[in-house]
Amino acid sequence: MHAIETVGLTKYYGHRSGLVASLVKRLRTSASPPVRALESLDIAVREGEVFGFLGPNGSGKSTTIRLLLGFLHPTAGRGRVFGLDTVRDSVAIRRRIGYLPSGIALYDTLTGEQLLDYLGELSGRPASRRAELCQRLELSARTLKRLVRDYSRGMRQKVGIVQALQHDPELAILDEPTEGLDPLMQRAFYEILDTLKAEGRTIFFSSHVLSEVERVCDRVAIVREGRLVALEETVGLLARRKRNVLMRFTGPPPRLDTVSGITNVEHGDGFLTCRVEGSVRPFLAAIADAAVVDLTIEPARLEEAFLEFYDEAATT
Amino acid sequence: MNRALLLHTWRAQRTKLAIVSIALAAWGFLLAVVYARFGSRFTALMQTGILPEQFARFGGGDVFSLAGTIALGLIHPIAIMLTSVFAVGFSATAVAGERQPGTLEVALARPLSRRVLYLSLLAASFGFIAISIAALLAGSVSGATFAGVVEELPFRNLPLLWLNSVLLFGALAAIALAASVSFDRLTPALGVTLGIVIAMYVPEVLGSLWPAAEGLQPYSLFHYLKVKAILGGFVALSDVAVLSSAILIAMVWALVVFPRRDLAAPS
Repeated sequence: MHAIETVGLTKYYGHRSGLVASLVKRLRTSASPPVRALESLDIAVREGEVFGFLGPNGSGKSTTIRLLLGFLHPTAGRGRVFGLDTVRDSVAIRRRIGYLPSGIALYDTLTGEQLLDYLGELSGRPASRRAELCQRLELSARTLKRLVRDYSRGMRQKVGIVQALQHDPELAILDEPTEGLDPLMQRAFYEILDTLKAEGRTIFFSSHVLSEVERVCDRVAIVREGRLVALEETVGLLARRKRNVLMRFTGPPPRLDTVSGITNVEHGDGFLTCRVEGSVRPFLAAIADAAVVDLTIEPARLEEAFLEFYDEAATT
Repeated sequence: MNRALLLHTWRAQRTKLAIVSIALAAWGFLLAVVYARFGSRFTALMQTGILPEQFARFGGGDVFSLAGTIALGLIHPIAIMLTSVFAVGFSATAVAGERQPGTLEVALARPLSRRVLYLSLLAASFGFIAISIAALLAGSVSGATFAGVVEELPFRNLPLLWLNSVLLFGALAAIALAASVSFDRLTPALGVTLGIVIAMYVPEVLGSLWPAAEGLQPYSLFHYLKVKAILGGFVALSDVAVLSSAILIAMVWALVVFPRRDLAAPS
């Protein structure tokens, strides 16, 4: 069984059907057309994996999450979490998950401790991880005694992470979880994710910070304008993307035009640049006889692969 | 209903509840004292014919008897405004006011159905109204005792008056909460509720002052709280039925509409 499974999941905002649609049509001469937020999304998140959900603002990430949580009703298709239907069994689903919304809103008039107590009680499960999470995120007992309205953005985000995970959910849905965290706290958060993963918890991780997706995710789905444009292993995605090469040499330049996986070859005075896709072996073989003075292969970044996917999706 | 949500709501509102209850108690106290001190003078003034007869029956209340004074206290704009802090203010903001900033989705990310959330908030609202009205009546009793007119007070009918008043303001709260679950933003929820309350209050008061407008009164929920009649020992079951029906209709609306709505993203 998958932790999350969506089949043809579609959401149009402003979509009306049946009697309401016909009434609106009669009453309004210039009814605005429905806005597509998500179109026929098919994904399956395995239990125990960290699944990255990537896309720029407005691509449909938060809509997908809100559909999974039952906050929105799908226009078409269906979603399942642990085999439970997101519309019919929404409460049962939420009993098993922890959710961190993007830019979380907290009750400002409560102290951090009161807030965590209240949300823990609503969860209906003991806050068995709270102490460990607070310790890792450096949320002291003194800090938790302060009113939430006095917290900085980073502190709020830490409390948000604790409230999402304190009851040890089977599935954590985290929307932009490192927003507002400093690098040290980001690292602490990644370690928390490592622990959860080691314990077999599933993490659905939405972000547009590609470096962190690269750091923590097993698989990545990329959405663009409400459509899934890629879904694959992070390792595979990293291996597929192109790398930028800068080589300095003396003597005649190596012949690279016909080498597989090499594009954008440009020569200069004693240097050349090109892009390498896939294995670097053919490239290394091609420059084996050249008098190489210096060679720089830029570390592969997911960001470039991401942008390439967008370029490809945009041109198709 | 959800215990944690009820407790949280109670904690969040208790200071406001205390302030409103004290204010209503003071208002009830004051009116009883005013009646005791100036009631006979007002009666004499009315008998001179200087003032129009309608002034003696504003919203079904007057200052010529303790029952009339309590009626006036309940229908007076000051009491309406104070009671509306919960009947309208709290109820209209309870869902829409949390949806807009995003705290609602933090709560609803828990195993809490929208219907349970709604019923818990409605129960909380009824509780606040019940306490507020009890404070007003307690203030009236204290004022009457202080002013030495307590023997005019039919104590045994006070629980019925309390119940009927809770039904009236509970109906307004149910309407406000129905509006709250029906809109994504606070402004329309509050606007619609206030519009309904004003649209009901004005015909009732207008009908009491101007005989030509009496035909409008049955369209107002305020018309179904007849304080003087209740204190006189007469409770019209039809009044109770109308107020209960209003609550029921608003509840059915909310219980049907809320779970089917998309919860808009916070703004």
